[in-house]
Amino acid sequence: MRALALAFVSLSLVWSCELSAQDMIVNDGMNLTSLSRNQARLYFSQKAQLWPDGAPVRVFVLPDEHPLHRSFCKRVLGLFPYQLRRVWDRMVFSGTGQAPTTVTSEKQLIRGVATTPGAIGYAAEGSRHPGIRSLEVD
Amino acid sequence: MGRVARIIACTATLVPAVVVADGNLWDSLQLHGFASQAVIRTSDNNFFGESPKTSFDFTEVGINASLRPFSKLLLSGQALYRRAGDMYPNTLSVDYALADITALSLDQGRAGLRIGRIKNPLGLYNETRDMPFTRPSIFLPQVVYYERVRNLVLASDGVSVYADWFSDFGDLSLTLVGGQPQIDGNVEWSFLGTDWPGHVEPNETFWAGSLWYNTAGERVKVGLSGATSSFKFDPNPGSTLKAGTTAFDYWIASFQYNAEDWTFSTEYVREPVQWEDYGVFFPDQKVTAEGYYFQGAYHIRPNVQLLLRYGEGFANRYDRDGTGSSAASGGFIPPFSRYSKIWTASLRWDINRHLMARAEYQRHDGTFFLSNRENPDFGDLVREWDVFALQLSVRF
Repeated sequence: MRALALAFVSLSLVWSCELSAQDMIVNDGMNLTSLSRNQARLYFSQKAQLWPDGAPVRVFVLPDEHPLHRSFCKRVLGLFPYQLRRVWDRMVFSGTGQAPTTVTSEKQLIRGVATTPGAIGYAAEGSRHPGIRSLEVD
Repeated sequence: MGRVARIIACTATLVPAVVVADGNLWDSLQLHGFASQAVIRTSDNNFFGESPKTSFDFTEVGINASLRPFSKLLLSGQALYRRAGDMYPNTLSVDYALADITALSLDQGRAGLRIGRIKNPLGLYNETRDMPFTRPSIFLPQVVYYERVRNLVLASDGVSVYADWFSDFGDLSLTLVGGQPQIDGNVEWSFLGTDWPGHVEPNETFWAGSLWYNTAGERVKVGLSGATSSFKFDPNPGSTLKAGTTAFDYWIASFQYNAEDWTFSTEYVREPVQWEDYGVFFPDQKVTAEGYYFQGAYHIRPNVQLLLRYGEGFANRYDRDGTGSSAASGGFIPPFSRYSKIWTASLRWDINRHLMARAEYQRHDGTFFLSNRENPDFGDLVREWDVFALQLSVRF
């Protein structure tokens, strides 16, 4: 019983750590307010490479093992990080697509999205920065 | 071929430009690559070099560049260096070099066209089969992805059309490729048994295609892919082997399930081959090769993965134990050279984002997938044998 209680407590701890939510962010110049989860998945996996207005989608991400990246993939996109990696690698090493821009910190990610037209990325919930806008995911 | 050369030349001129990247045109330039070296030891039989004495003859190096000069145009190319035993002693090749034109891009899908040297979309792994990080193990499942004739199905010089449909229920992807295959000496060894006086060349257009369905979120991936073509033998004067043709199909059914910590994959291949007009020393015949494997990969830790696989492959699905072929050859061909049953255990350790180490063990019953170029004497083949391999790979 004690072991069960302990397991429950540690599980809830894990959950609460993961609960720090993320926002999907885009470059402020984008004429978009929301995306469906499926659309978000298509853009992040770069299966959809152009925005509806025809501009190229520029994806900014943190490294695969980064907690924010892992959490964003799972909670917002409903994907595991290795699945995105697999899709990107197949494109990059068969010449049918390009890799997303990988940066090493959240700060760099926000700056990248703010200064790149057509950029999409993510940040901790409530992040404010000139040049970026958060998107609703339905 | 001229088209491919032009695309390569175009891609090559971009490389110095990255240094002075200024305008928007060059902003999209990307360079990526990988390199790997393996060490292989087998109890018997040659596999990637003289492996019973420990072989280092498995090296792969690839460098690619891609550029999106306009939003609807992608240019890309990859140079590949490979050393794979006597099959590919020292080979530098253009792996792919293409222009990808997006014709249509909508919320519901996209469609486009690729021109140049295009990787054939066959099975789960063919398109990136030489990039170690995208493979499930050091060696691809040999019962489906024949190493000894890899180039025959690797890439096409030609045109490809593709269409993807996106929906909340998943994605559907269709790709068709038509072009010229890469035919090399290994094709002659594998399909005609030895290096005859003369050479093998393409006979018909190589057609390949694939249809994939992914559930949204890619938990389940199901695909059917295939290729069809033929090649001919151009004999030197006086050759005992006459000017014949070999027609083949190559079909793969694929299934994959992805969970957070594990992936299950299985594929089934069928390859009907028909030999005609090679003369009295090589009677006309029609044989269907077959193979399948089941593979589970589990993440023990986020950066350590253990894979287990079992696969079987047969030179002739109507003579799976090989006794028919052996009898027909008067016992010259041992029955076990017509099948392979392979257990594989492989450990992957991603040391960091750029470096990966692998260790692999395989237990074999049969020698069907071995290259006869590496093992020219049937009398030297051993039925039950083991493979131990280590591989270190880097990427950027």
